[in-house]
Amino acid sequence: MVVCYLAHCLLNANAKVDEGARCAGVSTPVLALLRERGATIRQMPCPELAFGGTRRFWAVREQYDTPAYRAHCRRLAEPVAAQVRADLAAGNRVVVIGIDGSPSMGVELTAADDSWGGRPNKPRDEDYPVTPGAGFFTETLLGLLGDDVAAVRAVGIGQDLFDYDEERELAKLGAILSGGEGSGAR
Amino acid sequence: MRGDGRSRRVAVVPDAYLNPAAGADDHLVRLAAAGWGVVALPQPGLAPEVERAALTALADQLTAFLGDGYEVALAEPDDPIAGRLTAVLAAAGRSLPARVSPLAGPGS
Repeated sequence: MVVCYLAHCLLNANAKVDEGARCAGVSTPVLALLRERGATIRQMPCPELAFGGTRRFWAVREQYDTPAYRAHCRRLAEPVAAQVRADLAAGNRVVVIGIDGSPSMGVELTAADDSWGGRPNKPRDEDYPVTPGAGFFTETLLGLLGDDVAAVRAVGIGQDLFDYDEERELAKLGAILSGGEGSGAR
Repeated sequence: MRGDGRSRRVAVVPDAYLNPAAGADDHLVRLAAAGWGVVALPQPGLAPEVERAALTALADQLTAFLGDGYEVALAEPDDPIAGRLTAVLAAAGRSLPARVSPLAGPGS
């Protein structure tokens, strides 16, 4: 059995930062794919929602890089890590599905830029500084798994990317659910 | 805030909605079609301390929605884990509307 740990917003777009929701609530193409593959679904928490609320500004890693936010991510990730370990111990395959481009939930791509801060002055989508790397929650969760991380696949759906291509992202996820590596997976 | 396509409606659902038994109704698909976002309760059978931590995290998230006027509904108020979530929220001075059925449609 494959158990998929989904970024919170894939089942609840209401958690996205303003202007970031790509649907009303549930990402139905992702859900349809998981149903088609018979995957068990688990929802991870949204660290940004609980920390910054629904009215938070867009932000990059440098703005979230505080001891308080790292501790917050760890507090949220600990029960998820416990569930992942239990699923692995039960003989399941585990896939963590994050959001590429997110400073918190990114897997292969995050957002980082030293110049962000103070008065919001980056209004254009093109200004969003997508950068290789993982988000804070993802790296915290994978770190908590220790040696077990080798048995976990992680993939980011690029919903926070300016050039989001749903067909491409679903194909990537589908390949991983089939047991392949796919591009953009760890 | 400039807004986007979000519904501002959040259903708190048991694990059985995410992972329905074979042959059971797929409530998650129905909620999705109706535009609800979902917040999933922890699955049954977790160690008490793991469930407690997960419920505390859920309560923090739901408090953010409640504080900004989002509609938040318990899909299965009689679910025992929903009951434990309600207790965590109550300890923080928050409550969810009782007996709201997100499956009945918007604003029900």
